[in-house]
Amino acid sequence: MRVLVVDDESINRFLLVHMLEEEGYLDIYEARSGHEALLLAEKIKPDLVLLDVVMPGMDGLEVASRLKTSNDVVYLPIIFITSLDEKDTVVRCLDVGGDDFVSKPFDKTVLLAKVKAHLRTRELSTNINAQNQELTYFRHTVEREHEIIEHIFSKAIINNPTVTPFFDYRNIPATEFSGDVFLCESSPNGGLYFLIGDFTGHGLASAIGALPVTRAFQAMASKGLSVSEIASTLNKTLEGLLPIHMFFAAAIVEVNENGRRFNVWNGGMPDLLLQGPRGNLEKRFSSQHMALGILDDREFEDEDEVFEAMAGSRLLAYSDGLIELTNEDGEMFGESGLEDLFIGNPDISVADLIEHMRGFMGEMDAHDDVTLTLYQCQDLSSLRKENTVTPLPFRVSVDLDPELLRAGASIQHFIDLICSQLGLSWIRSDLFTILTELYSNALEHGVLDISSSLKRTSEGFIEYYTLRAERLEQLSDGFVNFEASFNPLQRRLCLLVSDSGKGFDVNELPIPDPEQSFGRGISMLRSLCESVEYLAGGTTAKVILAL
Amino acid sequence: MALEAQLSADEKTLVVRMDEKFDFGKVQDFRAAYTGIPDSVKTIEVDLAETEYMDSSALGMLLNMQKVLKGRVSNYRITHSRPQVLKILTISRFDKKFQIE
Repeated sequence: MRVLVVDDESINRFLLVHMLEEEGYLDIYEARSGHEALLLAEKIKPDLVLLDVVMPGMDGLEVASRLKTSNDVVYLPIIFITSLDEKDTVVRCLDVGGDDFVSKPFDKTVLLAKVKAHLRTRELSTNINAQNQELTYFRHTVEREHEIIEHIFSKAIINNPTVTPFFDYRNIPATEFSGDVFLCESSPNGGLYFLIGDFTGHGLASAIGALPVTRAFQAMASKGLSVSEIASTLNKTLEGLLPIHMFFAAAIVEVNENGRRFNVWNGGMPDLLLQGPRGNLEKRFSSQHMALGILDDREFEDEDEVFEAMAGSRLLAYSDGLIELTNEDGEMFGESGLEDLFIGNPDISVADLIEHMRGFMGEMDAHDDVTLTLYQCQDLSSLRKENTVTPLPFRVSVDLDPELLRAGASIQHFIDLICSQLGLSWIRSDLFTILTELYSNALEHGVLDISSSLKRTSEGFIEYYTLRAERLEQLSDGFVNFEASFNPLQRRLCLLVSDSGKGFDVNELPIPDPEQSFGRGISMLRSLCESVEYLAGGTTAKVILAL
Repeated sequence: MALEAQLSADEKTLVVRMDEKFDFGKVQDFRAAYTGIPDSVKTIEVDLAETEYMDSSALGMLLNMQKVLKGRVSNYRITHSRPQVLKILTISRFDKKFQIE
C-alpha cells in the first residue's frame, strides 16, 4: 500500500514516515507543500494520504478538496494531521472531503489503527471498482452478442409476406428475446399452415430453439405435409436437440383452400378458440398431446383434430404468458379473463385484447412472453402456387416379381421416384391413395385371382384376406407393372398399372354402393383423377392426374 | 427449507412436498430431493397441496426426474394439485407420464 505524507515541517514528516516504516509500510512518498502533494499524487496514485492542515501557500483543506474531486472512482482516504484540537477545524476538515484526523503530538497506536482501517476500506473499494469494470465489460460483450443474434434471428425467422396478412398477430416478449414462436406458410395446395408455440422459459436460451423449428416448419409446409407429419418431425428434431428440462409446447394448424376446414394438432398450448360469426364459441381445440421434444418417436402421438367451421368464424390462439399475467393484487388474468372478453364479442381485435391486458396489469410487467394470433375464415385460393414443374418429360417403370409383391412397400419407393422431381412433391398424398387402390386391385383380383364379390359377407371378408395371404405366399410367377409418364407441357401425369391376371369385362364394373365394403375404389379414383380407364381386357388400369 | 422430502418407513415411497411456488428457483432443491435415494424406492409422489403457482420449468424438472431415475422408479404420482396447477398439468398432458390424483 502506497502512502503519501504531506507536511511542510520535516520533523513531522520524519516522525510519520518512521512510524509507518516500523509497522511495515515501505512504499511511502513525502511532499513538502500543497502543490507538491497534488503533483505527486497525480504521478504515484497513493492509497492513503496523511495531510497537514496548516501549511504556507495551499493549505491542507484546499489539497483535500482537489484530491477528492480528481479521484472519484475508488475511495481515497485522507487523514488530516492537526495540532488544532478545535471543533470547527475538525468539522471543516471533514466537510472538504477528509475522512479522519489525528492530533499532534501523534499517538502511534491510534494513528496506525486509523491508517489500517482506512486502507481496508480502500481495498474494498478497489475490489468493487474492479468488479464493476468486469461487469461493464461483460455487459458490453453480452449486448454485442445479442445484437449479432438478433440480426441472425431477424433474417432467419421471417414469415411469408403473402400469408401474414391473413393474421392479426402480436408478440410481446418479456425480455429482448421471445421464447414464443409464431410461424405461418402457404400450402402448395392452396390454404395455409400456422404454428404457435412456446419454448420452456423465456429469453435467449429459449429463443434459440426457434431457428431449427422455423426451418423445418417452412420446409414441410411448402411440401404440403400433414400437420401430423409436421408435428412428428418437429418432435423428433427437438427431442434430439433440446436438454431434457426444455421442451416446446405448440399448436400446428392447417387451413384448407376454402379457408374453413381446420386440422389441428395441439400439444401443451392453451385451448384454441373458434368463434362463430355471431361471437358464440363454436369449437375449442384443447391440448391432446404432450409438448414437442419430450416423447421419443415410439411414444409420440400424431393424431390431429379436424373441424369444418362456418363462414366468417374466427380462430384465436395464444400463449400461456397471457393467462399468467398478474396484476398488482397478485390475481391472474386467467383463461376466464380472456374468454370472457373474446366469446360473445365478434368484433374484438388483438389490439383490443392487448389493451385490456395492459389495463389489467397496471404497473406490473409481464413475466413471460405473450403471443396472440387471430385468423378469420376466408377464401385462401389466392395462396395456391403456380409451382414450377420439371421441364423434362419422363417415364419410369418398374416390374414387380413375386418376390417384390410379397415384400410390399414397393409403392412408397415408386412414389419417391416421381415426387423427387421438381414441383411434384405435393401430389404425394393423392398419389399414395391412387396407387394403393390400383395396386391392390391388380394384385388381388388380377395376379391372385380373388373375386371381390367374396367381400359381400363378413365371413367372406375374412376368407378374402386369408386367401390373399395364402396365395401370395405360394405365388411363383406373375407380375404387377407400374409405369408413370409425365408431360410437362400439359402438366399431366399418366399412370399405368398392369398385371399378369386374366383381366375382366370392363363393361361390368361394379356400380359403387356405399353400403358395401367393396367397389368403392373406382369412385374414389374418379374423384382424384382426371380420367380412369381399363385397357387390355381389364389387365391394365390407366389414370391421368392433372397438376 | 423450500421443499420437504420424506421417505416412507418401508423405504418404498418418496414423498416430495413442494411449497407455494414451484418454479426455476427450486431446481437445486428438487434435484437434491431425489438424488441418492435408496434403490428400494419404487414410487415417487410429488405433493402439490401447498403449491399455488407452477411454471413450465417445473414441468421440465418433473420430466428430468423421470429421465434420471429411468429403470429404477416405476411409479410417479402428482397429488393434491389445486385447480390452477391442475390446469397447467392438464394442458401439458402430464397425465400421459404421471399419475395425477
